Amino acid sequence: MGLRQGLPCTKTGSPRYTGAFSCVTIRLVPPTVVVVDDHAGFRRAARTLLELEGFDVVGEAADGASAVAVARDVRPELVLLDIALPDASGFDLAPALSTGRSRVILTSSREHGDIGRRVRESGALGFVPKDELSGETLRALLGKRCKS
Amino acid sequence: MQKLIPPVAAVLAIPLAVVAYHIQVRDLYQPRDHAAAIITVACAFVAAGAVAWWCRPYNRLGLLMMAAGFALLLRQLRYSHDALVFTLFFALGELCFALVPHSALAYPSGEIRRRAERALVKVGYATVIAFPLAMLLFHASTGRLIDFGDPFPRKSLLMIDGNDDVVEVLQKALVVVFYLVLGSCFIAVLIRRLVEAPPRMRRVLAPLLLAAVAIALRAVFEAVFTFIDRPFAYDYLFWWQIGAFIALPLALLAGLLRARLARGSVGDLVVELERTPPQQMRDALAQALDDPTLELTFWLPERQTYADAAGKPIDLPRADPRRLVTTIEHDGEPLAAMIHDPSLGEEPKLVQAAGAAAHLALENARLQAETRAQLLQVQESRARIVAAGDEARRRIERDLHDGAQQRLVALALQLRSAQHQLRGREDAEVENLLTTAAEELQGAVTELRELARGVHPAILTEEGLAAAVESLTARTATPVTLDVQDERLPAAVEATAYFVICEALTNVAKHADAANVRIGGRQRNGTFVVTVEDDGVGGATAGESSGLRGLIDRVEALGGRVTIESARGAGTRIEAEIPCES
Repeated sequence: MGLRQGLPCTKTGSPRYTGAFSCVTIRLVPPTVVVVDDHAGFRRAARTLLELEGFDVVGEAADGASAVAVARDVRPELVLLDIALPDASGFDLAPALSTGRSRVILTSSREHGDIGRRVRESGALGFVPKDELSGETLRALLGKRCKS
Repeated sequence: MQKLIPPVAAVLAIPLAVVAYHIQVRDLYQPRDHAAAIITVACAFVAAGAVAWWCRPYNRLGLLMMAAGFALLLRQLRYSHDALVFTLFFALGELCFALVPHSALAYPSGEIRRRAERALVKVGYATVIAFPLAMLLFHASTGRLIDFGDPFPRKSLLMIDGNDDVVEVLQKALVVVFYLVLGSCFIAVLIRRLVEAPPRMRRVLAPLLLAAVAIALRAVFEAVFTFIDRPFAYDYLFWWQIGAFIALPLALLAGLLRARLARGSVGDLVVELERTPPQQMRDALAQALDDPTLELTFWLPERQTYADAAGKPIDLPRADPRRLVTTIEHDGEPLAAMIHDPSLGEEPKLVQAAGAAAHLALENARLQAETRAQLLQVQESRARIVAAGDEARRRIERDLHDGAQQRLVALALQLRSAQHQLRGREDAEVENLLTTAAEELQGAVTELRELARGVHPAILTEEGLAAAVESLTARTATPVTLDVQDERLPAAVEATAYFVICEALTNVAKHADAANVRIGGRQRNGTFVVTVEDDGVGGATAGESSGLRGLIDRVEALGGRVTIESARGAGTRIEAEIPCES
């Protein structure tokens, strides 16, 4: 487990809980993530990278049904969700996983132009091509959410 | 030669009519006007039958009517005082009264189709032969026969036991069985045919109503004459039935000729159909047979099915009361089939004659239909090849996405993790190596992604043409104005339209030197029309090896077409029309 970093926050003022994720002046607890992808190699690589870059990967799932179960158990702040799962489409699954404080970021080995408008319609925070996955890109999307 | 039979037979009827008239007057003491009236009825049948036979040699109705007329003339010979003539023609005398209803039931086709009607006619013939023969066995020469008005005896050569009572019972039984029972059945059958007939057929069948009236009058006349000692209203009944029986053959003839006149002679029909070009066969047959609903289908021996002129397979209607099928054969092999109005079923020989006359042109038309069917098969096969190609492309894209792309992406993440862990260790050489490897890998991932997209863009399958074209044009250097309808279309249409746009945009990028491109896609009357216009240098052609040629082939495989307008200096406009329904 690498060094845990707090989320950079654009808001100032007294500490408060916003519901979606903690948006406080100083954050000591790393954001929790569940990685959902049917390729074990990708899950492994993503876990290593995200943990190195200050995320706490609290769970993994290989299909839609187990993703819903894991998310219900661990209630992560972020679900990194592949758009093409064996039993469901990530677009269809995103609304079910965006509950409570959990938010969804969609991912795929295709790029954004190949995905179209469905990311917006799915209610996910955004989309990250798998080869561009990093702690930084995820934080940027989470930050965008914090601003809105 | 055959054509001469009806007029010759009609001429032969004249001396027979003279003899019959004389026997009526001389041997039966019949009033002259009554005798003339009976002979007129017989002559009306002979004349109408001769005309019908002459005009329509394929129809047996003319022959039947002539036979009825001759039988009625010969019937008069039974009043002869000569024993042999009396015996012979008394035995056969009632035949005319079986032939008249037979003619009516055979109208207008010359044939009786229904089993019940055939049975009725057979029973009628049996009755009119059996009863007179039985009477002759018991007829004593002194005995009086009911409808023999003269007082003179006639000798039966067949008598075995003279018994007038038996003869009287038999005569009355004949009236009851033949006129009352069979006559009622006959009238019921005629009325049923009229009621059940479709409206067009009902007009044709109208003369049958007259036949029913004639037979009813005859039955009443016979009953009155047989069972009432002093017949009342004898004269009225006599003249009414005479009137009905003269009108009947004329009405049958008129009904037969009315349809006939519209068509011209069978000879003309033969000549006309022999000269008809194959593509006009249906219209010519429809006109010749006076049935605008007629459909013509051709037998395709290779496919063992019937097909229309365009080569499209057709199932012949079976057990459909509104349509009838006539199969035309040549040398024992099916050639074609006509699907037509059931009323034409009343004239099967005419329909067959028309089919036979047209066999040469039909054979040509069949060959054309066969060629079209083969073309249709090729067309379907081309469309299937395109669909199979699309499916293979989709599968390759999926395999690339699920296999190599995933592995490379995971590798890229692992490299990034390695880079992260090396940070701060001040090992510049390894760090450089890792950075180069990560860049190379990123290049490979991008190239593989481009390759997969070129093979078959996933967005096209998942979101349709509009989204796929939007994604495509986002990567195009030339500004593009998009007007593509955002509706899902059949997969083959979407893929074809997409590749048309891809190829056109590639051409724009390579050769057009255009400042603006406009892409349109709209569905019009079941056809999806794609247009790609640019304001570049023009001069594009669909050479044999060009990408455009391949696109034209692809669009044509789906039954569509491509138009290229590309005058030098006037930009290029490519329009593809792709049918949406196969």
